[in-house]
Amino acid sequence: MKQFKRILVFELGNYLKNKVFVGVTVFLAVVIAAVMFFPRIKAAVSSNEPRQSADKPIMLVAAENMSDADMQNAFASVFGEYEVKYTDEGIDSIKNQITGGAAECAFVLHGNGAYTYYVNNLSMYDTNTETAEALLSGIRQVVEMTRAGLTAEDAQSILSIRVGGETVNLGKDQMQNFFYTYIMIFALYMVILLYGQMVATNVATEKSSRAMELLITSARPASMMFGKVIASCIAGLTQLAVVFGSALVFYNLNSKYWGDNPIIRSIFDMPTDLFAYMLLFFVLGFLIYAFMFGAVGSTASKLEDINTSVMPITLLFIGGFLVVMLSMTSGNVDTALMKVCSYIPFTSPMAMFTRLAMSTVKWYETAVSVAILICSVVVIGIAAAKIYRVGVLMYGTTPRIGNVIKAVFGSKK
Amino acid sequence: MILELQDIYKSFGEKQVLRGISFKAEGGKAFGLLGRNGAGKTTTLRIIMNVFGAAGGQVLFDSEQIDYNKVHFGYLPEERGLYPKKKISEQLIYFAMLKGMTRKDAIRAIDYWLERLGMTEYRDKRLDTLSKGNQQKIQLITALAHDPEIVILDEPFSGLDPVNALLLKDVVKETIAKGKIVLFSSHQMNYIEEFCDSIAILNSGKIAIAGELTEIKHSYPRNRLVVKSRQNAEIARAYAASCTQAENGELIITLEDAKSKQNEMQKLSGSYDIDEIRVFEPTLNDIFVEYAGQTDAQR
Repeated sequence: MKQFKRILVFELGNYLKNKVFVGVTVFLAVVIAAVMFFPRIKAAVSSNEPRQSADKPIMLVAAENMSDADMQNAFASVFGEYEVKYTDEGIDSIKNQITGGAAECAFVLHGNGAYTYYVNNLSMYDTNTETAEALLSGIRQVVEMTRAGLTAEDAQSILSIRVGGETVNLGKDQMQNFFYTYIMIFALYMVILLYGQMVATNVATEKSSRAMELLITSARPASMMFGKVIASCIAGLTQLAVVFGSALVFYNLNSKYWGDNPIIRSIFDMPTDLFAYMLLFFVLGFLIYAFMFGAVGSTASKLEDINTSVMPITLLFIGGFLVVMLSMTSGNVDTALMKVCSYIPFTSPMAMFTRLAMSTVKWYETAVSVAILICSVVVIGIAAAKIYRVGVLMYGTTPRIGNVIKAVFGSKK
Repeated sequence: MILELQDIYKSFGEKQVLRGISFKAEGGKAFGLLGRNGAGKTTTLRIIMNVFGAAGGQVLFDSEQIDYNKVHFGYLPEERGLYPKKKISEQLIYFAMLKGMTRKDAIRAIDYWLERLGMTEYRDKRLDTLSKGNQQKIQLITALAHDPEIVILDEPFSGLDPVNALLLKDVVKETIAKGKIVLFSSHQMNYIEEFCDSIAILNSGKIAIAGELTEIKHSYPRNRLVVKSRQNAEIARAYAASCTQAENGELIITLEDAKSKQNEMQKLSGSYDIDEIRVFEPTLNDIFVEYAGQTDAQR
C-alpha cells in the first residue's frame, strides 16, 4: 500500500509538473472564459456602436397583386432581421442580385398564396419559408373571410383565437438533459482516449528506456499498474474539474448577460444525483479503459508500436460512443441495443449514463449495471497487472495475444 | 548471511530455461555468476529477486524460505536505464522510497552516494544531460542507496573508463567488507577473478561447475609447468613431445606424473637460464571456455 501511494504520488507529480498538461488545462480554461465572457463583451461593443440598418442583410420582395406599402410592411414586420425591399424588377435581375451578393434572398409572390423563394446558399436553419407561409396564409385567410362577408376586424379576431395546454412530464425532459449528457459523453470520450493513450505511452516509455528493469525489481506490478492508472484518472478528473469549474465560475460572473439561454441554463442546472452518477460512471469507465491501455502498452517494445497496438481498444470504445451518440440524437435512448450496451462494461459508462439522464431507468437496472462494471474494473485491473508483469519483460517484436495469455497463466506454474 | 538456490527450474512456454540450478552465496564475499549469452543468468537473477517465481526449487536466505518483505535487493541491471527526462535527485529519491526508505533517509543516502561517487554537481540536472559513464554511476546509486542485504551487479564495469572502474572497484570492495552478499554477473573475467571467491558457470540452464574459485583451480591436474626463459628454443627441443608454447611466449610442459614436477623444476632451473618457473593453474577464462563453451552433447 505504501508502495502504491509512492507510485501514485510520483506519477501524479509527473502529470502536474508536465508543461503540456498544465498548458492545455490553462488554455482550455481561457477558452471557456472567453466563451462565457462573450455575451458581456458583445453587449459592451454593440452598446457603443448601435447596429446600422445598412448592416442588415437585404430581402427582396416582388409581388403581382398587392399594394407595395401593405406587402412591404407585412414582410418587414415579420422579418425584423432583414432589410425588406420591395422591387418590381424581373426574375433574372433578382437572381443576379442574390448571386452577386447585393441581396441575400428574395420572395417572388405569384398571387393565390403561391410564392418562389430565391436564396444563394440554403442554410440548414433557414426558416424564412415557414415565416413567409404563415404570413401569407394569414393575409389570404383575412382576404377570403372579408370576401365571405366578415369585417376585417372579425376576421382578425377569429384568426387570433389560441388554445392553451400544459405538459406534465413524469419522467425525464430529454431536451433539458440532452446538452449535459452530450457534454459528459464527449468529455468521457476525449479524456479516455487521451489519457488511455498517455498511460500506454508512459508504460512503453519506461519499457523502452529500460527503467522498467529497475522498476520491476523495486515494486510489485500490481502497485505499478494501479498507481499509474489511478494517477492518470486523478489527473484527468483534475483537468475536467478545472475546465468545468472555470466554466461554472465564469458563467456565474456573466449569468445576467446570458439571459434566459435555455441550453446554457440546462447545463448548469444538473441535478445532484445525476452529477453523482456522472462521476461514478466517469471514474469506472476511465479505469476500465486505462487498465487495458496500460496492459497493451506493456506489451509494446517500441513507442511506434503503441498506435497499432491500442487500435482494438480504441475501436471498441469508438463503437460504443457511436451507438450512444446515434441513439441520443435519434431521441430514443431505450432501444434494445442501448439496453444491451448499458450492461456491457465497455459501453455501460456511456450507455447507462445516457439512459439515466434522458430516460427512466429502474433502480435495480442501474445497480446491476454498476455492479457488473465494478467487478469488471477489478478483474481487468488484476489481469492488466498480470499482463504488465509478463509484458514488460518481453522485448523484441510485439508479442501475440496468445503468447501473452500463455505467459501470464503459464507463469503461475 | 547466506543466499542459497536449490534445484531451480523455470521454463517459458515450451522452452526450458533453467534446469536445476543450485548454488550458495555468502555475505562478506562476492559470488560470480557466469555463462554465455542465453545461458539463463538473467532469469536466475530475476527469480532470486522474485520478479517471477520458479517452476520448481526454492530460494533460501539463512536456510529459510526467503521473505521478500525483509530481505532487500540492490540491482544494477545489464540493460541500464532510468528516466532520461527527470531530475537525477528526484528519481533517485523515488527509487529509494520504492525500496522502503522514508523521504528523509532517502535524501540523506542519495546525498552521501552522490558525494561518494563525485556526482554532487549533477544532483539537479536531468539524467539525459550526463555522459554514459556518469549515467551508470547514477544507476549504481539506485542499487546501493537503500543499503540492501544482497547486491546484484550485472556487467557493472562495462562502459566505465579506467578511473571510474577503479572507483567502482573501491565501492564494491567496501560493500563486500560491510558483509553484504554481492552477486556478480559479467563476461569480463579479470574483474570476476579479482573479486569473486566463489563462482557458478551456467550452461544451457544447468550449473556446469560451481564452488570456490581456488578449489576449482586446484582441481585441475597439477602436472603442467609454466616456464619463462631466454632459452625457449632449447627447452622446447628437449621436451618436444610434451611442450607447447602459449600466446605470451611462455612454454607449457606437460608431465606424465604430477609427482615428478618438483624434480623436473629443479632439473630445468639447473640446466637452463630460467626467469620464472611455476605449476600451471588455469585462469578463469580457461575454466569459462571449458565449461561454458561446450554444449550438452560435447561434454
